[in-house]
Amino acid sequence: MGNDQANKNLKIVLFLCTWGPHAAFQQLQDKDCRIPAQVKMVRIPCSGRVSKALLFKPFEMGADGVVLVGCGSGVCRYGVGSITAEKNVADTRKILDLLGLSRKRLRLGAFSPEEPQALLDFLNGFIEEVGAIGKSPVIRPVKPEKHNDHSLAIKEIIQKHDVYSCQECGKCSSACSLTLAGKQYSPRAIANAIIGGKVDDPQVQKDVWACLTCGICYERCPSAVNFPEFIRDVRAVIKSAQGNGNEAHGGFFGSLSRTMTSPEIKGNHWNWLPEDIKTDSSSKVLFFGGCAPYFDIFFKNHLAPSTLDSVSDSLRLMNFFDIHPRVLDDERCCGHDLLWTGDRENFLKLAKLNVDAINQSGAEEVIISCPEGYRTFVKDYPQAGLDMQFKVTHIHEFLEREISKGSVGFKSLDRKITFQDSCRLSRHMEMAEPARKLLARLSPLSFTEMTDSGAGAICCGNCAWSGCDSFSKALQVKRLRQARETQGDLLVTSCPKCQVHLRCAMKDPFFGKDLEIEMMDLTSVMAKTICWE
Amino acid sequence: MQKLEVIITGFGGQGIVLAGRILGQAASLGDHKESTLIQSYGPESRGGACSAQVIISDGTINYPYVRQPDILAAMSQAGFDKFVNDVRPEGFILIDQDMVKVKGLERDYFAVPSTRMAEELGRKMMANIIMIGFITAVTQSTSLEATRQTVSASVPKGTEEMNIKAFNKGYDYGLSLLKARDKKASGQAGALA
Ligand code: SF4
Ligand code: SF4
Ligand code: SF4
Repeated sequence: MGNDQANKNLKIVLFLCTWGPHAAFQQLQDKDCRIPAQVKMVRIPCSGRVSKALLFKPFEMGADGVVLVGCGSGVCRYGVGSITAEKNVADTRKILDLLGLSRKRLRLGAFSPEEPQALLDFLNGFIEEVGAIGKSPVIRPVKPEKHNDHSLAIKEIIQKHDVYSCQECGKCSSACSLTLAGKQYSPRAIANAIIGGKVDDPQVQKDVWACLTCGICYERCPSAVNFPEFIRDVRAVIKSAQGNGNEAHGGFFGSLSRTMTSPEIKGNHWNWLPEDIKTDSSSKVLFFGGCAPYFDIFFKNHLAPSTLDSVSDSLRLMNFFDIHPRVLDDERCCGHDLLWTGDRENFLKLAKLNVDAINQSGAEEVIISCPEGYRTFVKDYPQAGLDMQFKVTHIHEFLEREISKGSVGFKSLDRKITFQDSCRLSRHMEMAEPARKLLARLSPLSFTEMTDSGAGAICCGNCAWSGCDSFSKALQVKRLRQARETQGDLLVTSCPKCQVHLRCAMKDPFFGKDLEIEMMDLTSVMAKTICWE
Repeated sequence: MQKLEVIITGFGGQGIVLAGRILGQAASLGDHKESTLIQSYGPESRGGACSAQVIISDGTINYPYVRQPDILAAMSQAGFDKFVNDVRPEGFILIDQDMVKVKGLERDYFAVPSTRMAEELGRKMMANIIMIGFITAVTQSTSLEATRQTVSASVPKGTEEMNIKAFNKGYDYGLSLLKARDKKASGQAGALA
């Protein structure tokens, strides 16, 4: 069969539990059975220990298929291993579908030591099935080049951000989110250490990776030293020398973004779109949805966020104004997180693919609800020299524009609300106002700002899925306490990640229900109450 | 032959006559119809009642005075009270809701907060231009392009951009109002299915 030849080139990773199934596998080896050569076996302690990040990693590296083989449920030596494995595989398969890689490339199996032949048949069957889909379109992303001497690059970055103009006033260090969360941390000291040539000092590097890039320090700095962007650029240099190592969630989200840099991937980004939402593939307005669909799947079992609501409800609000936007099936991650964790090469690839796809679509206006995506499109794409033949509008601006035309009102909302600013909108883009104009149009029982709000708001404690630690938690706890102090019962948000990170703190068993407060994106609150008058 | 009789009414200083002239010129120079304009002031012409009578027609206009308006745009209470009962049953009544209270009016009318919107734009004087935008959207008495161009050509040099903004505000407000009526009539007043 011609297929056999093609199938020979497949790369299949087999995660094999060391207990039952490994015994079966060994028998195959002992009996000299032909285990298909495409299968690269990785022996693991328990199928439940293979996280979504690990299940996904081989796909980032160009694998055509992944098999996770453990013990049947009820037989797991550790009790919950098989159940966890089932959940992880189910979620990762959904993610593969969204990416357009097909869920069929990932399979879960369970075999006891008595079933060597069944295991062999299972593997052969899987190879046939993957062969029918074909090779993975993913090209293994290149590792950044190793620069041995980066002193010149660092010097240029210092100059670019004019860090020399630092007056050592220390305002940044006294306002820094991390310092206020109790960490021994000083942006001033980091800046000056780097100016002093100490970028290779292990402590300095740790500090560079710890920064939340929240931007409070820049907000306060009298010399306008843009510390977060400075840190971002330093990361790009030291990453190429040393790698990162601070990724939260096993680096899953970085893997996901890098996988999307393969041009041949044809995503299925909108396969979840509810039926009541109308889109139009010839519209001049394009809605860019961002990564919320991935967040909801990834955190389903742990935090069960519904960040997708911000995407659906943005679309519903556009529909309300008779705008049926176009959406891009092969929309990719905007690259924000890669850029802010030092992976500039892959950020640029994503940026180019997105801009090319949108330019080709002929869309004249792109509307974005994700604050990170918005910042990236408005600031970082043009800075990277991309030629964008469309204008970019944030959903809050769009809504204000439409609502101010008149005849639109809001039904009363039986809640006491407060508002969580996103660092990207309220500080980086200096856009704390549009959300407030919209909030002022609502009719809730009450709207009370938290102690710190607007450009001075406390952030959600994490950025770009990197460096999450006890200080992140402390910040989140502090923020949620502020929210509770307003006596509100609904925390209105504008960023899907704020919801994920704050929910994470709420689920901390030590705090019980102390920090709980319902969260809803501003677009959802508006979609629920908006009406023609 | 299609003929439209329009009365724009208010008081001196609101730019009522200019509004009438813009409408008439948009119809004739822009939309290539016939139009006439009569202006009349009340006894106390400064700050007193004032109205512009415009006739727009596909054919020759023999008599330039309005007998029974198809469109009444009222920017003052006195003007509203004076003309409201003359408007044809199928005609349009438009008011500046900040200046006019309709009281027991038992027929349909269209309201725009043109004075407040003009204040928000920084120039109370532009309420008339907002009203023209509103008339254009609601009654389609003149075409959008012709009216917009006439506004731009009729206002003092250097203020074109601001006035076009005002015109657009009134126009958008009118469209929104019509849309809101449509949506409510078809039972889709909200965003959720
Ligand atoms: S960006 Fe935020 S976390 Fe980083 S140094 Fe500035 S204030 Fe601190
Ligand atoms: S606030 Fe600005 S000037 Fe002051 S120490 Fe920090 S970086 Fe330097
Ligand atoms: S706060 Fe929670 S959800 Fe956010 S990065 Fe940290 S562990 Fe992940």
